[in-house]
Amino acid sequence: MSVFTPKRLSPQLRQPSTTRVMMLDMLVALTPALGMAVFFFGVRVLALCAVSIVSCVLFELLYRLLTRQSMTIGDLSACVTGMLLALSLPVSAPYWVPVMGAAFAIVVVKQFYGGLGRNFMNPALAGRMLAGTMPMLMTTWPQPLHRLSLTAVDAVSAPTPMSYLHEGALPPQELDMMLLGQRGGCMGEVSAFMLLLGLGYLLLRRVISFRVPGGYLGTVALFSLLSAPSGVSPWVWTAYQLMGGGLLMGAIFFATDPATSPVTPRGQVAYGIGCGLLTLLLRFHSPYPEGVGWAILTMNCLVWLLDRLGLPRRFGIGNFAATKAFLAQGRANLAEIKFVIPKLTVTLPKPKEGQAPGEAYLDLLRAASRTFLPLVLVLAVTGGVIHSVQQFTDLDTARAAVQAQQEVLAQAMPQASVGAETPYRAIGALSITAGYDGEGHLLGYCVAVQSQGFAGPITMTVGVDLNGTVTGVAVTSHSEDLRVGGEAMTPEALARYVGRSGTIRPSGDNAVDAVSGATATSKAITAGVNRALNIVANLDTSGGVTYEDTE
Amino acid sequence: MTHSFFGGVYPATRKDITRRKPMARLAQTPKEIVIPLIMCADGPSTPIVGPGDPVLVGQPIARRGETGAAAHASVSGRVSAIENRPHPWGGLSPAIIIQNDERNEPYDGRLPPLDPRQLTVEQLVERVEASGIVGMGGGVFPTWVKLARSAGKIDTLIVNAAECEPYVTADYRLLLERSEHILRGAQALARCLGCERVVLVTEGDKLSAVEAMERRLRRRGGGRVQILAVRTRYPLGAEKQIIQTVTGREVPPNGSPLDVKCAVFNVATVYAIHDALFQGRPLTHRAVTVTGGAVTRPRNMWVPIGTPLRHLLETCGGLREETDRILTGGPMMGIALQSLDAPVMKDTNSLVCLTGWEHKPDTPPGGCIRCGKCVAACPMHLAPVFIRLALEHQDLKKLARFHLEDCNSCGCCSFICPAQIPLVETVNHASIFLKKGVAEQ
Repeated sequence: MSVFTPKRLSPQLRQPSTTRVMMLDMLVALTPALGMAVFFFGVRVLALCAVSIVSCVLFELLYRLLTRQSMTIGDLSACVTGMLLALSLPVSAPYWVPVMGAAFAIVVVKQFYGGLGRNFMNPALAGRMLAGTMPMLMTTWPQPLHRLSLTAVDAVSAPTPMSYLHEGALPPQELDMMLLGQRGGCMGEVSAFMLLLGLGYLLLRRVISFRVPGGYLGTVALFSLLSAPSGVSPWVWTAYQLMGGGLLMGAIFFATDPATSPVTPRGQVAYGIGCGLLTLLLRFHSPYPEGVGWAILTMNCLVWLLDRLGLPRRFGIGNFAATKAFLAQGRANLAEIKFVIPKLTVTLPKPKEGQAPGEAYLDLLRAASRTFLPLVLVLAVTGGVIHSVQQFTDLDTARAAVQAQQEVLAQAMPQASVGAETPYRAIGALSITAGYDGEGHLLGYCVAVQSQGFAGPITMTVGVDLNGTVTGVAVTSHSEDLRVGGEAMTPEALARYVGRSGTIRPSGDNAVDAVSGATATSKAITAGVNRALNIVANLDTSGGVTYEDTE
Repeated sequence: MTHSFFGGVYPATRKDITRRKPMARLAQTPKEIVIPLIMCADGPSTPIVGPGDPVLVGQPIARRGETGAAAHASVSGRVSAIENRPHPWGGLSPAIIIQNDERNEPYDGRLPPLDPRQLTVEQLVERVEASGIVGMGGGVFPTWVKLARSAGKIDTLIVNAAECEPYVTADYRLLLERSEHILRGAQALARCLGCERVVLVTEGDKLSAVEAMERRLRRRGGGRVQILAVRTRYPLGAEKQIIQTVTGREVPPNGSPLDVKCAVFNVATVYAIHDALFQGRPLTHRAVTVTGGAVTRPRNMWVPIGTPLRHLLETCGGLREETDRILTGGPMMGIALQSLDAPVMKDTNSLVCLTGWEHKPDTPPGGCIRCGKCVAACPMHLAPVFIRLALEHQDLKKLARFHLEDCNSCGCCSFICPAQIPLVETVNHASIFLKKGVAEQ
């Protein structure tokens, strides 16, 4: 390396904690959580940890060997990465998941950027979040005390406390169960008590300072207190927020990673607060119940900025002067940005000697055409394509079809604002459309059916809500003679079906009387409505369709 | 106590090795005393005796230069030569060699004791100048200059008994055994300099000395003197940090303690001033701790200035095991000795012989892991990790923003670095690189 490293003259003493000792301390601090995980989830935890650590060390060894760099596995950082990666997986994860995570963490995140201390993202967390993109693998949370054997993956999945908290409700676990870790979750994160033991050890050994975990947990606690849902004690809510999910593990072991957290004390506090705010934002306002991982990875990317903002002020100049100097520096930096005003005036070239008049203009044109020709070509091709699309598609018809669909929906299900074609099929149904309200809640189904009228088939769309009640009927096409059957198809006549359910009979209970003078058409419409009601009542939204015609 | 300084580290103090050993006089004074002409940060002094001249204890043998300080014979005998001898700061430097006649006859021209009640600033400065007193905590700045500059301009006088360097207990023993003298010296200084407040600062591991001091204060009324015991943390004894701890004021960059109306005197200096004022004794002896895991009989001693360190070590039974590093002035800021023939100087508070286990020999530095401990440890608010990066990129513009001149080389960053990077030397190197780069532009 080109760096000049001077010889050490003083001090003659050195603190005993080297990089290797720091990493060893991290492993020691993780041991209680590991022990609790083995107790709750069985020996498979140990096997996953071993696979993860061995593959991390192997990938580091191989990379350093292949790129002919100095050997760094002695600093134990790969072991810490492996251990953290394994403990942040669910115990039901297959064995290849930690191997894949280790490859990404060690090779891509850590070594490509130059090894320990130069990576900008926490390797273990990045590997874990990569594995987390495979939802089928990473969303089964085995229940504690349902111990898994080394090979079994038939885990009994249980919802984690976070999924309850995400819905604004308290989880069924008591607080002491949360503290001990009797809940679903990743292997290492379940036991809050054991994680806090690890925190105590790390603080005692001065491996980490309290600034990052303090800022992180403090922010989460403060905002949880303020945002407790009504009817829940804010203190209990806060305790669940703090102990739920991976927050403690993230705040103690992931956010404090030396390489990817700020080096300046003030920056560290700001980083912790930022992690806390992002975590809460993701917990409350994202479709996922947990946000610790993404929050920390996002803050990892802001470390550069926080470091520069958090530099200690100069000794002996006081806060006021320091702030002034800081602002002056900012102004100087801004002043260094030069805004280049583009030259918009055109100067016409003068003809050089030996050139024909106008030849210089030709050169100018040639140069300009060379610059702009590709742009002009792309524009021409794009324009041509759009033009031909417009030529060959009948936009008016397409628009009219959409319009007609909207009108039918408005007639068949006035409550719904959006209709969406469903993939469900049923005998007798031409199509089944689901109706949603403005906020996306399913209201019911609009079934298009056909029935035999006086003069030919009548096609109609019948809206049925989730209770099996008719919301509206719209006749879309028919071949009836309006003088004979028109009475049965007036909006008033059709409105009589609204609110009916079950099977509508021609007379007696639940009857819609036939319109006099249009008996055949009326019967046809009643038959169509009955068919639609039956289809919706027997609609199997999981795929299979059972329908039998009652007629 | 509401004030404190930022950063700092907590090295194992290991003061228990010599804490309970009373100061002993040398059983046998050395045959040869070496008094270097460079004993002060402000340049050499000029000898006023020649080879063959007889000298007595306390007799002036060198006069100060432009500023500087005078030197006195610490034993009686005969000047044998003025020649180059090994110097504790490294290399050779001219020194006056005295052959000891072991009779310890006092100098008859010694100055009369002064009356503490009628002491004036002029008398004080003149007497301190004549007694050759310098800052005995390692600053080696002539004390008379400091006194003359700070008279009437300060409101707080700080007596520095922090002794934050590990191993060293010389100041602690002095405080314990000569508390009466130190108290009287501090009071006289405060009266002359016209300051309202005298604070004697010690660390929390010297509570028996604090107790002794407080007993004296209770018995005779301390007047303006108060005692402040602060939790042990290195570098409390550094001038800027001790001022911040006592008053909360920060010495401005490139400024002096006078800018914040403070003056800091080492406790050994105050004791020497007391002796000069009220006993008429010039600075000829000082307390030295001989300690470290490699020394056979570690102890505190009261030795004549100029005693070769080899003689001191032999008095303590020599080395009992292999030593890795021998140094003076405490293991945090002290630099390894090149030769044991170098003498005890006016600021030599200790001779430390570290075993390999204590010193932990250099291993090749690892890569920076960006833990930020150096930033959190630097009491001068620097960011060594960024200074190192800027030096690596040879970025002059960036280096200029990091206030390299503020570094006081206390060594906290090197001490704390888990990757074992020599950060103090890196910062010094960056400072030189910056100066060179600016000069070239």
